[in-house]
Amino acid sequence: MPMIKKRGLREAEIPNSSMADIAFLLLLFFLVSTTIDVDTGIGLTLPEYIPPEEQEFAPLSKDRMAAILVNADGEVLLNGEIITIPQIEEKLKPRIEAKINLPKKKKLVVSIKTDRRTPYNIYIQVLDAVKKTYFDVQEEYARATYGKGLDDLNEEELNDIKKNKIPIIISLAEPEVVK
Amino acid sequence: MKFQKKRAQTKQEIPTSSMPDIVFMLLLFFMVTTTLREVDVYVQYQLPQAEAIEKIENKRLVSYIWVGKSGRIQLEDAIVKVDEIQPIMYKKRQALPNVIVSLRIDKNSDMGIVTDIQQELRKADARRINYSAMVKE
Repeated sequence: MPMIKKRGLREAEIPNSSMADIAFLLLLFFLVSTTIDVDTGIGLTLPEYIPPEEQEFAPLSKDRMAAILVNADGEVLLNGEIITIPQIEEKLKPRIEAKINLPKKKKLVVSIKTDRRTPYNIYIQVLDAVKKTYFDVQEEYARATYGKGLDDLNEEELNDIKKNKIPIIISLAEPEVVK
Repeated sequence: MKFQKKRAQTKQEIPTSSMPDIVFMLLLFFMVTTTLREVDVYVQYQLPQAEAIEKIENKRLVSYIWVGKSGRIQLEDAIVKVDEIQPIMYKKRQALPNVIVSLRIDKNSDMGIVTDIQQELRKADARRINYSAMVKE
């Protein structure tokens, strides 16, 4: 008697109706745990460290220099004149613009000096104002020369502006030795 | 005359069979873009606001220094003293020559501590810094 194995006609399938749910659960987990924290801030390159005994006094002509002093109360002094932070832009702008076509050795140097008790927030506001002035001048120069904004310039044009025409030179004054 | 309601002959269902694929795609996107936070921040800080802000393009180059409200300094994953910054940063700089140091300093700190950190960084020759700041509204 032949034995015929009985085979069920059931379809062998992996149930995948719940796959979407599982995937959603994973998705939600990653959505919640993701912290897209972008690093934004004000970039700066610190000057090279030279030990105090080797430091030399490099004289800088007065018309190249924009010395900003910020005291402990957050008062701002630009070349000996008391100003407010929003005024930095209008004071610096003409001086930067006047030096666009001068060689690199004659560009404006912005020096920022603070007291030890100056609030960090004020310092950032000052630095921000200086940077913004530079960016504005660069943008205006780009529009006047190439007829387009900074973002649309090609590499070469951008380099010319950032390196040759309007380089951002911010110098942090050497901290004084605390007695 | 009898009016018969017209009905579409097609099935009125939203095809859901491709939903898992779509969801998986989203999932993969988030998995790839997520950078899980590697360090716990032990200090409390509130960043200042600024306008002329730049983005740091390359996150791998960044190493972080936090300064909290209480004036504590955290370098990467540990609380450090000011004079410990130099050797650590010097090592870091040798491993990664163009390291950018992101300074996340509480906005009510004094400049004294900032200057001290900057001096240490200059000694360690890690001179590219970035003052972390939020976009001003």
